[in-house]
Amino acid sequence: MTPLLEVNHVSKQFGNETKALSDVNFSVSEGEFVSIIGPSGAGKSTLLRCINRMIDASNGEIIFDNMNVMNLKKKELKMVRTKIGMIFQHYNLVNRLSVIENTLHGNLGKKSTIAGALGLYNQEEKEQAVKILSTLGLVEHIYKRADQLSGGQKQRVGIARALIQNPRMMLCDEPIASLDPNSAKVIMDHLRNISTTMGITVLVNLHQVDVALKYSDRVIGINHGQVVFNGTPKDITKDDIQRIYGSEAEDLIFDIGGIHAS
Amino acid sequence: MEANEQVVSGEPMLESPSKPIKIKILTKSTIAIRITLLALAFLTVYAFFSFDYKEIDFGEAILATFANIKAMFFEAHFNHFTFTHAFYQVLITLGLAFLTTIFGAIIAVFLGLLAAENLTSKRVSAVIKGIVAFIRAVPTVLWVLIFAVAAGLGSVAAVIGMTFHSVSYLVKAYSESFEELDNGVIEALQASGASFWQIIFQAVIPSSLTYMISWTFLRFEINFAVAVAMGAAAGAGGIGFDMFMASNFYLDIREIGTITYFILAIAILLEVFATKFKKKLRVNG
Repeated sequence: MTPLLEVNHVSKQFGNETKALSDVNFSVSEGEFVSIIGPSGAGKSTLLRCINRMIDASNGEIIFDNMNVMNLKKKELKMVRTKIGMIFQHYNLVNRLSVIENTLHGNLGKKSTIAGALGLYNQEEKEQAVKILSTLGLVEHIYKRADQLSGGQKQRVGIARALIQNPRMMLCDEPIASLDPNSAKVIMDHLRNISTTMGITVLVNLHQVDVALKYSDRVIGINHGQVVFNGTPKDITKDDIQRIYGSEAEDLIFDIGGIHAS
Repeated sequence: MEANEQVVSGEPMLESPSKPIKIKILTKSTIAIRITLLALAFLTVYAFFSFDYKEIDFGEAILATFANIKAMFFEAHFNHFTFTHAFYQVLITLGLAFLTTIFGAIIAVFLGLLAAENLTSKRVSAVIKGIVAFIRAVPTVLWVLIFAVAAGLGSVAAVIGMTFHSVSYLVKAYSESFEELDNGVIEALQASGASFWQIIFQAVIPSSLTYMISWTFLRFEINFAVAVAMGAAAGAGGIGFDMFMASNFYLDIREIGTITYFILAIAILLEVFATKFKKKLRVNG
């Protein structure tokens, strides 16, 4: 399969001292479900944001859909961003607006500035929004204000906002870090489903190693801004976990053997 | 009783019950505050003794003041104008307040967006906030008088001067409510390719609308009070001018009472309306 995303020798430096990423290399194929795991502050969020240029990488090249993202001008960058959906740990919805309005926000990038600013959406866009919301099980809440929803429901609205973009790829920045286990499972199932049935590439930052191993086609481990593991969940060993999380990994609460067995 | 006493004596805090326990510790700042308060109290008492009372008998003066207040509020009457005239003049004053608030609000939304640190750069924000702070530091009345040099004393100078000050006040209020917005929301819309103005109108303004409306209402109330004063001080017309005539020209204290009632009624109405409107906004908005 041809890679949809290629990250070659990417580094990111904040100021003079802190190096968030150093020489990161990996590629992701079309439709793949890839998890990025690593300790807090390892550079997972920075890496994700470099891909859609919410943060500008210092060196290297990022090739998405045969375009070098790093060299794009403002207008082309916007075009690329419309093809990449993004969801966040804190959902980042506009709390005072309704679920359907928040969902339709995903279309803003494709609309003219004035139509988008005034919130004028055509029937087709609205129908698509309702369709996506019903597959995510939110159809009875479409006129509710976003702040009246539970965390899991908010994250589903976040997914709907990304899906309405018709993205080639979804970037998920710790989508389940603020959720209880049940809601987290619902969200991960939806993400997996998006990857399998719609063929959308999904790139997820995760804190939960067991979740990453269970859902992903491939796992990328990052520590101190460097890729220290890149392989399928089956290939991961205790040593790899230790290299990703450092020496304390001995005491981590999960058991790899158990996960592989299930 | 005995059991109680035993429990109390068992507590470590009360081992020596004769020693009083302080709840406030004397620090430098509390000592400074106490000295200041004492000094102020002393100066106030001293001032009353050191006034030059001339021929005025203090008790008589107080009684006369009460008599004036009684005449003003209990014997209020119309003399130089009618009820409809007064009502019309109040509407003019309200109109002046409304016009300047609306002008101010429209200009302030755009300047407020530029002054919000999270929406533009720190430098632009600092420049606008600096200018606006300077404008705000000068009282509204002074701005009206400054513009009166060019526009002549009257309603034009009042509108320009009051708008000027309203803008500076609202820019501060609006930009602060814009800055309270969670940066993640802006990030999320940027990541989907939305443009600056789309983010402003779809995320920033909807999120801060309640704050903006309550600040605008507050400014409207201030502008109403200023508009009354402007009628007297800058000849901007309205009920303030009638008040000026009644007090300075006709020396009719009873008519001033009538006008005060009018202004009071409007102020209460505004307050009631504002409270109701805000409540409704909180539930539905």
